Amino acid sequence: MEKIQSPFSNAAELALAARHEIIKMTSVAKASHVASALSVVDILSTLYAGSADISPSKLGDPDRDIVILSKGHSASALYSVLALQGFFPIEWLADYCKNDAPLGGHVTFKGVPGVELSTGSLGHGLPYGLGIAMSRKKSGVSGRVFVVLSDGECDEGTIWESAMIANHHNLDNLVVIVDRNKIQSLTFTEDTLKLEPFADKWRAFGWETEEVPGHDYQALQKSLATQSTPKCIIADTTKGKGVDFMENSVLWHYKSPSTDDVTKAFEQLSENY
Amino acid sequence: MRDTFVKTLLKEARKDSNIILMTGDLGFGVLDEFQKELPAQFINSGVNEQTMMGLAGGYASTGKRVFVYSIGNFPTLRCLEQIRNDVCLMNNSVVVVSVGAGYAYGSQGYTHHALEDIAVLRALPNMDVIVPADPHETIGITQLLTTTKNPSYLRLGKSNEPLIHKKEVLITPGKINEISGGADGTLIFSGSVGVIAVEAARELALKSINVSVASLPFVSQIDLDYLKSAAKKGPIVVVEEHSYRGGVGSAILETLSNHAISAQVALVAASQTNLSQIGDQDFLRNENGISSKNIISKFLALRAN
Repeated sequence: MEKIQSPFSNAAELALAARHEIIKMTSVAKASHVASALSVVDILSTLYAGSADISPSKLGDPDRDIVILSKGHSASALYSVLALQGFFPIEWLADYCKNDAPLGGHVTFKGVPGVELSTGSLGHGLPYGLGIAMSRKKSGVSGRVFVVLSDGECDEGTIWESAMIANHHNLDNLVVIVDRNKIQSLTFTEDTLKLEPFADKWRAFGWETEEVPGHDYQALQKSLATQSTPKCIIADTTKGKGVDFMENSVLWHYKSPSTDDVTKAFEQLSENY
Repeated sequence: MRDTFVKTLLKEARKDSNIILMTGDLGFGVLDEFQKELPAQFINSGVNEQTMMGLAGGYASTGKRVFVYSIGNFPTLRCLEQIRNDVCLMNNSVVVVSVGAGYAYGSQGYTHHALEDIAVLRALPNMDVIVPADPHETIGITQLLTTTKNPSYLRLGKSNEPLIHKKEVLITPGKINEISGGADGTLIFSGSVGVIAVEAARELALKSINVSVASLPFVSQIDLDYLKSAAKKGPIVVVEEHSYRGGVGSAILETLSNHAISAQVALVAASQTNLSQIGDQDFLRNENGISSKNIISKFLALRAN
């Protein structure tokens, strides 16, 4: 019998459990992007532990809150959080990336409860979320739309086109959370294509913008609680957060943890959390 | 064709508030009535086709039928990955509508010619590619598209296309609409380029060769029964205002091959020898080999085999 997990209401507890799952599943699957997942997992845990009004029983509701993980390469983080919150059996995580398994290396919609959009090509999540938010606003349907972006993803033109459109239509039901870990595919964001002054850019596009510590659950919860216009939360994060040898390293965008790495990483998690 | 489309859509949208018309800032003078009458169902997203198409996917996911309107390459090639991922993969109820098929925007230059769109959109899974012949077909096809939910691509001409059908046509998905019958072979066409096929048939009749002329609007759902009987009857010439590579002719050849049907087939399509050539639609069709003369010579060559 497959287990359906009881949901966590505490974001810190959810995130710690998810960190273990992420490290395990990327190791077993020999998959990339473990550090991207550890970077974003506190944001996702905050959303799914209560900041977004979404749970397995609400999936069919047309006015549910919607969470879109646009940085689809962090699939292991979303899948871990969804499984731990009871959206699908936790056993699925063990088959991550296996032949004919439900969970693949990038976020996949079909057959995975809780996933709202297949992602993996950057710059798609925000226009899509914008469409849902605009339709809801025009039709008077409540429920907010949260789109989680990577900072490197903000090189894409569709991000800024969407920023203009959301402002023009005053979509006060749309929230962007940028996982600002300052590293992208080949090197640091500021050495690739300067994003700074990043918050000022979003403000100039008409978005209520806050910079918050991205691993601080209370700060995230507080920022997610209110908005009066489209809102951008720039979450200051550390790539690979929680495992020192994975932190701030481009290598761990790609490398999969060995069995030894997993043991060392778990030791660190019990020391650090 | 575009006016007929918008008028028909407006009529249906009055009855169904889930029908949405979205434009990437094009349609001056064409979309005004729709916008004025149903502002809640009209969106001009601005000049941003990629974002517009993703937006359309998300919008449609809330239970709407979203028609995304723009010129030729802009709602197709410019935002191909958004159509692939956010519409087709997610199976969202979006109809991509392009105006200006082939050389309809002739003298505006190659950036405005739509000559590769069928090939590219036809390659996408879950996508219905539909090419009406004239305003009569456009009415029935537009009505059909307001009742179906599939991702679809509607390829329209521009304005003042001649009527190829004498009256409105009863549209059946996946079925060819025959214009006229003949025992010696078949000319199959998609789109307003059909006028040239009709002309070629008239000229062949003067030589006592009688061919059927048939409009094939459903490009990704080829009418197999019709094709089988046409293959038995005699040579088939496929006429389209599109590149030779991957268009309607290719779709027909694939279908024949997939069903192991022997047939004598020739394609008349755009040769694209000079991409920068300027001229009106008739001139550019002719310069690129889409002419009754070419149809006739290809038909006669097959017949002589």
